[in-house]
Amino acid sequence: MQGHVRIYSGGGGGDAALLYYGCAGPVGDWTQRIASLQPTIDQSVATMYGRLPGTGNGAVSGGVGAGALGDRVKIGFCTDLDKSVLVNNFEKRGWHQVNGDDDWHFYWAGVQTCRNIFSVDSGYRMHDTQMINHFPNHYELSRKDLLVKNIKRYRKDLERDGNPLAEKTESNNSSGTRYLYLDFVPTTFVLPADYNMFVEEYRKFPLSTWIMKPCGKSQGAGIFLINKLSKLKKWSREAKGPFHPQIAKESYVISRYIDNPLLIGGKKFDLRLYVLVTSFRPLKAYLFKQGFCRFCTVKYDTSVTELDNMYVHLTNVSVQKHGGEYNTLHGGKWSVQNLALYLEGTRGKEVTDRLFGAISWLIVHSLRAVAPVMASDRHCFECYGYDIIIDNALKPWLVEVNASPSLTSTTVNDRILKYKLIDNILSVVLPPDGIPDVRWCKIPSADALGNFELLIDEELAAHDEAQNSNNNNNNSSSHTKSSKLSSRWK
Amino acid sequence: MEELQDSSIHHTTAKVITAIKNTKCYEPIYKELQRLVASPGVDKNDMRNTLEDAIKAAGLETEIRNMIYNLVRSRLKKLEVGDVRQTTKSAQSDPLGYLKRAGVLWDRRVRKSLNAMCGELKVPLHGQPRISTDREDFVAKWNELSNYNMDLANYRPVYAPKDLLEVLLSLKGPTRPNENSDQIPQWEFSHIALPVKNLFELRTHYADLLRGDPYSVPDLAVQCQRILDSRHAPMCQQYLKKGCTPAPYRGALWASVLGSKLHDYDIENWQKLRNSVWTTDHIVDKLVFKDIQLTASNDDQYFVFEDVLYQVLLCFSRDTEIANCVEYESFPVKGKTYEGPPSGVVPFHGICMFAAPFCYLYDSPVCLYYTFRAFYIRYCHRLTTINTHPQGIVSLCLLFEKLLQTYEPQLWSHFRELQIQPLRVVFKWLMRGFSGHLPPDQLLVLWDLILGFDSLEILPLFAIIILSFRKESIMQVASLDSIEAILADLSSIKVLPLVQLALSRD
Repeated sequence: MQGHVRIYSGGGGGDAALLYYGCAGPVGDWTQRIASLQPTIDQSVATMYGRLPGTGNGAVSGGVGAGALGDRVKIGFCTDLDKSVLVNNFEKRGWHQVNGDDDWHFYWAGVQTCRNIFSVDSGYRMHDTQMINHFPNHYELSRKDLLVKNIKRYRKDLERDGNPLAEKTESNNSSGTRYLYLDFVPTTFVLPADYNMFVEEYRKFPLSTWIMKPCGKSQGAGIFLINKLSKLKKWSREAKGPFHPQIAKESYVISRYIDNPLLIGGKKFDLRLYVLVTSFRPLKAYLFKQGFCRFCTVKYDTSVTELDNMYVHLTNVSVQKHGGEYNTLHGGKWSVQNLALYLEGTRGKEVTDRLFGAISWLIVHSLRAVAPVMASDRHCFECYGYDIIIDNALKPWLVEVNASPSLTSTTVNDRILKYKLIDNILSVVLPPDGIPDVRWCKIPSADALGNFELLIDEELAAHDEAQNSNNNNNNSSSHTKSSKLSSRWK
Repeated sequence: MEELQDSSIHHTTAKVITAIKNTKCYEPIYKELQRLVASPGVDKNDMRNTLEDAIKAAGLETEIRNMIYNLVRSRLKKLEVGDVRQTTKSAQSDPLGYLKRAGVLWDRRVRKSLNAMCGELKVPLHGQPRISTDREDFVAKWNELSNYNMDLANYRPVYAPKDLLEVLLSLKGPTRPNENSDQIPQWEFSHIALPVKNLFELRTHYADLLRGDPYSVPDLAVQCQRILDSRHAPMCQQYLKKGCTPAPYRGALWASVLGSKLHDYDIENWQKLRNSVWTTDHIVDKLVFKDIQLTASNDDQYFVFEDVLYQVLLCFSRDTEIANCVEYESFPVKGKTYEGPPSGVVPFHGICMFAAPFCYLYDSPVCLYYTFRAFYIRYCHRLTTINTHPQGIVSLCLLFEKLLQTYEPQLWSHFRELQIQPLRVVFKWLMRGFSGHLPPDQLLVLWDLILGFDSLEILPLFAIIILSFRKESIMQVASLDSIEAILADLSSIKVLPLVQLALSRD
């Protein structure tokens, strides 16, 4: 147990949780009956405190261990990030830390390391028992300009094939059409390349606000809002000047600003959801059920005077942290479960379900859009941080995708959540015996999913389909559904 | 006998009629009735039948029924209690006299410290008009009061749960003379002669929770919608007993059970309260701000509703109707009496947590306000005053102790060996009705049960259940801090199955 308290050394709640768990001796009469009454309790307890560790560490024994990881293989892990949520999770599984040059089985790498490992020059060849936490060209999804490019191409391809998904409808705005099912990113152009196209679009909606973001930066750096073309021209002139040589080289995306966000308590927020991809071809993706809303600390205000106040517009914790109103106890983070409870209570179940269905839909199609260009290396998996804004018609918009979502914990609950996230990622990506192996089929058991929910598994879907067509009379197929786009993930 | 019953019904009817005439809804209903009388459907030759039909057709009957249901549940009882009080004047011979006395003294003490705070800070208790600049600022920021700046450094909550707990633990009855204190542990409640239920009686009271639904309806939502359409308050109450209310219907069900559906005069009244907040600056405003900043603003379940809570609690502080509806203990005690705030409720540490869960039910502050106010009047105020009511905090504490003693003797003796009052561990849960301790989705289920079974007894029962559930861990530690640590995180607790389990245990 001592080995564990360290994990939550951050504060009261976490310690208590562990203490409770750690002391739980033989499971009493009560607990068993409760489990039989409502299995979710048992599950929630197990997931709340992480999966039970294997032997060693003097930890609690019993339960679902990392198990058969016997004396034969000693798993070496390597990490570029010295984060306790990572290291504690690895050590809990009895892994030992090694250097990148040594014989590692599992590498939690930064994108730079990843690039080196996969580059042709390095000559590094990964073994069957090695895994790494990035795909070689994850930037197809995580770079703002490439994401938009890939989605535009995906729609065009579908349209060309006459796929019903690419159906278009008259836009309710004055001109043009929009995609009926694939309209989930705000209109976006890459600057300077698409400048003329942008101006054309701008002239159609001269009253709208646009948001400029540098393609390569994250955490809200370099972002500003524009509501006049002259402001963009001024910026462009200045950027070309001698004082900002770096801006001139950088490309930007300019997107229609969602100026009607859903406000709760008068404040703007965005969603941070975690999506785990274990393969792109076939696509296998899982959604972590415990995402959160990140709130701005200041009331939302669209007046022109507030256009430059980034505390109003940007929800990034890295931005909000510097605001005077930032609260360190909750960090402006509100659970998705609470959002769902609030929306159901105040707006009804139907619209709430529709919203969460639309979010799953958006994630799946953004992944499908990049799947053809992604190098689907079998050693790789990746956990993406999806940033989504919900507008006041309860329509979700994809803002951006991060390939290295922050593992820094801002609050006690945040630490518990991220610890659980890493734990659940490991149990999904590793075969049942806990030893990395690319030859494994990558179909985790229901137990191994933890707080992840299957978004899509094309392999399972194809399998189901084949089975169904083989015995179409016998449609009692009890196979787990391989794609449930409209389900709720409470 | 029959005659007696007959006359008692007449007696009650007379009281109900008087009570109805005093309510705000009387006038609109009377007007509606006048309109119906004049409607073409009513025939003056068959007045009785045709008017009755018209009343039913207009839905007025349900409204009147609901009104009577609410009156009988709340205000009539109060009238009766008043009658009894007048007849039994002999306060000295009242075995619970000391308890009532403690109640009066506690209330006086709380008001006294509010008065003392006013004296210290040199502000009048009645409040003072806001100076015009402040008023403009206040009105402009009404929807974002978290941005309203003021210096709260000198304000502190008037009292916190632990203050009330200390008073409760020091209650001394006539049956408990000091010389016997060696035999009875200093901290037991058992000497208090209030009747409380045992598990068997609780099981009877909560029998509906264990009963499987014989007409198992496949779609709870459809059933719920039908009940809401019928507009019968008692049916809504019955529905809440299931403990699995669909979230979208909860707000309407609660409002129906508590009789807090919005009327025009409610909205007017809300605006009056709001104007009163805008025009006068009252010390309780500062206490309200302080309390929200200390609790809800820091709570990761409720911080997003901070601004709504300011509005609701500020208006609450100005609402004189609350003082009229809440029953306080009366007992002749010599000494100075002190004035309180307009609502009669002195804000304490955590008062906003009574209102916070309602933020998950209602978008509009007005709807939120009236249901919260009704819930406060019916239940919450009993948790913060010392009273002899069977659902008062004293009875709940006693119930907790007796249940622990009887059904978890091992835990009981463990606490006793450690010289820790078990009540210390759970008191904050009881006094806040678990708000801020359980995650909102589960808290709302627990409050469904409070409303459904019209009783706060679920609180001590649920406290026992949690202790029981974590017994193994508690038995292994030996300090108050460790026990509190074990019980600090209730995020994995599921209310309904645990309560069902506890009630079905042999």
